[in-house]
Amino acid sequence: MSKKILVIDDNENNLMLEKDLLEIAGFEVFEAGNATSGIVIAMKEKPDIIVMDVRLPDMRGSEAAKILRQNKDTSDIPIVFVTASVLSEEKDNFQAISNSGFIGKPINTRTFAQEISQLIK
Amino acid sequence: MLVKPKKIRSQAYAESIINTIREPLLALDQDLRVVSVSRSFYDFFKVKPEETIGQLIYDLGNKQWNIPKLRELLETILPLQATFDNYEVEHDFATIGRHTMLLNARQTQGELGKEQVILLAIEDITERKEIEHGLEKARKELEVAKLSEDESREYAESIINTIREPLIALDQDLRVVSVSRSFYDFFKVKPGETVGQLIYDLGNKQWDIPKLRELLETILPLQATFENYEVEHDFATIGRRTMLLNARQIQRVLGKEQIILLAIEDITDRRKIEIGLEKAHEELEELAAELKHAAQVKSEFLANMSHELRTPLNSINGFSEVLHDETFGPLNAKQKQYVNNVLTSGKHLLLLINQILDMAKLEAEKMKLSLTKLPMKNLLFEFSSLVADMVSKRKLQFSLEIAEDLPDIEADELKVKEILYNLLSNAVKFTPEGGKIGMRAKKTDFGIEIAVWDSGIGIAPENMEKIFEGFFRVDTPYSRVTEGTGLGLPLARKLVELHGGELSVESKGLNKGTLACFTLPVISESSIKKGGINNEQENPGH
Repeated sequence: MSKKILVIDDNENNLMLEKDLLEIAGFEVFEAGNATSGIVIAMKEKPDIIVMDVRLPDMRGSEAAKILRQNKDTSDIPIVFVTASVLSEEKDNFQAISNSGFIGKPINTRTFAQEISQLIK
Repeated sequence: MLVKPKKIRSQAYAESIINTIREPLLALDQDLRVVSVSRSFYDFFKVKPEETIGQLIYDLGNKQWNIPKLRELLETILPLQATFDNYEVEHDFATIGRHTMLLNARQTQGELGKEQVILLAIEDITERKEIEHGLEKARKELEVAKLSEDESREYAESIINTIREPLIALDQDLRVVSVSRSFYDFFKVKPGETVGQLIYDLGNKQWDIPKLRELLETILPLQATFENYEVEHDFATIGRRTMLLNARQIQRVLGKEQIILLAIEDITDRRKIEIGLEKAHEELEELAAELKHAAQVKSEFLANMSHELRTPLNSINGFSEVLHDETFGPLNAKQKQYVNNVLTSGKHLLLLINQILDMAKLEAEKMKLSLTKLPMKNLLFEFSSLVADMVSKRKLQFSLEIAEDLPDIEADELKVKEILYNLLSNAVKFTPEGGKIGMRAKKTDFGIEIAVWDSGIGIAPENMEKIFEGFFRVDTPYSRVTEGTGLGLPLARKLVELHGGELSVESKGLNKGTLACFTLPVISESSIKKGGINNEQENPGH
């Protein structure tokens, strides 16, 4: 059975690119354009991993991650932050979140899916 | 039979006298050995009975008492005179320091028998001498002060006329007795309209200043002296002035009336400078705050810009990469070439964004190094295999020389690789096909030195400074302009300097090759900061 993955990104082009790359790699992909709908999908589908942009329209990625960690259904799901931000304070925020990783933008399309797979237990 | 108790009694009496008197007293026998001493002797000279009684006087206290003048008294004078008063001796004692003593000596008959006893009373007059000395000095000073009145007045007037500051002497009624030459110069007044006038009436009543009245009429009668009393006043002749007044009420040499000396220091210019300085200081502080704010705005702007530019680049580079890889079906040759051009330009743009951001971080001193121990030999070997691809594409000969004793260093691995990449890619870019490039690494006194050289187009002397300015690119027929950003070399230099090293570039001129050389210390100066997860593509070499 293919692995479930949730991709949260407010940029439609990036969302499409990531979805296509992950589907080619054999994932079952769920999409969300903001943190709130992403959290709802995560609780319903319980994906194997969540790929999330850091700047989302309704809240920051680190805040969404905190909500996911507080819910017992989603507390153990690995989270990969994808960000174009280069601020080191931002990186410190991700590091405080358990079971998480970090990929910089622009992504490398040839290795993206593989990098994600490595973060699933 | 009766003699003995009497002797004992008189001896006890003598001893009680000896012990009561404040002055140290010594009794010696004919051989000048100590028979007995007073308690005060022990106290004063800080000696103990056991090291005193029976000793030759000269041997007392480690031969401290071997004083030539004492010998003279005891051996020469006393045998002739039997008594001697106030014989002054000055001596440096190891235990109690330099003392001046008056010695009084008496040669007396002992109670029984014929032997004689020498009584030596010691009066310490060190303090008294000091007081006398002080009195003598004071007397001499008084003599100097008692110069004739004429002489002293002349002396005083010459002082008054020598000093730069205007000085004015007033009598008890505040009338001018005399003024210094500088007073006339400064206030532009003449002697005829000054001496004998009430001070307030001077120069057409210009001197009727409330604060001056306060000083002369209220403060001075109470205090006799007053210093640095600040007065600001508008003078008709010389304009607005700020003055410091120093006043003294003094007794005249003859007669009982007092005079008031008033020294006037013009601090107008000093005040102006002080006010100017204060203003300049305030302005500087404002400017510094503004600059700090501007720097913060700039770095926030750059961080935002970087984010905003990378987001669309993610799509441009991502989609063109997927297309180019023909993931969703084959492209024809033209399509493939076009999409490759899009990808190449996108990557170039990304490199530019990264380098501009790095440059901004370095200039704002916000770039932090994450130092780790770097096995330099391995790192250089690995790196040269990475450049092998670039080198073979352009049919260049590459040579690598690494010294056997090249030490490992502590530095930021990504940054060191970026420095190497920037220098080597320049060497490749600016060397024609078939040319030579190379890298040499050796140990130095402080760390390592790495040189990257090429046989390429070199740098004209007039461009030597410009290559570090940023965005300067030497035109070359061998490489396309789009390959470089013009930021590689300035960035490399800044990164080397951040590690505490130096980077220099040499060229003998056009078409004579280039040598870029940099040093890195064994342990870099920047504070060690642990690097976090860093998958970010900050290194253009990857």
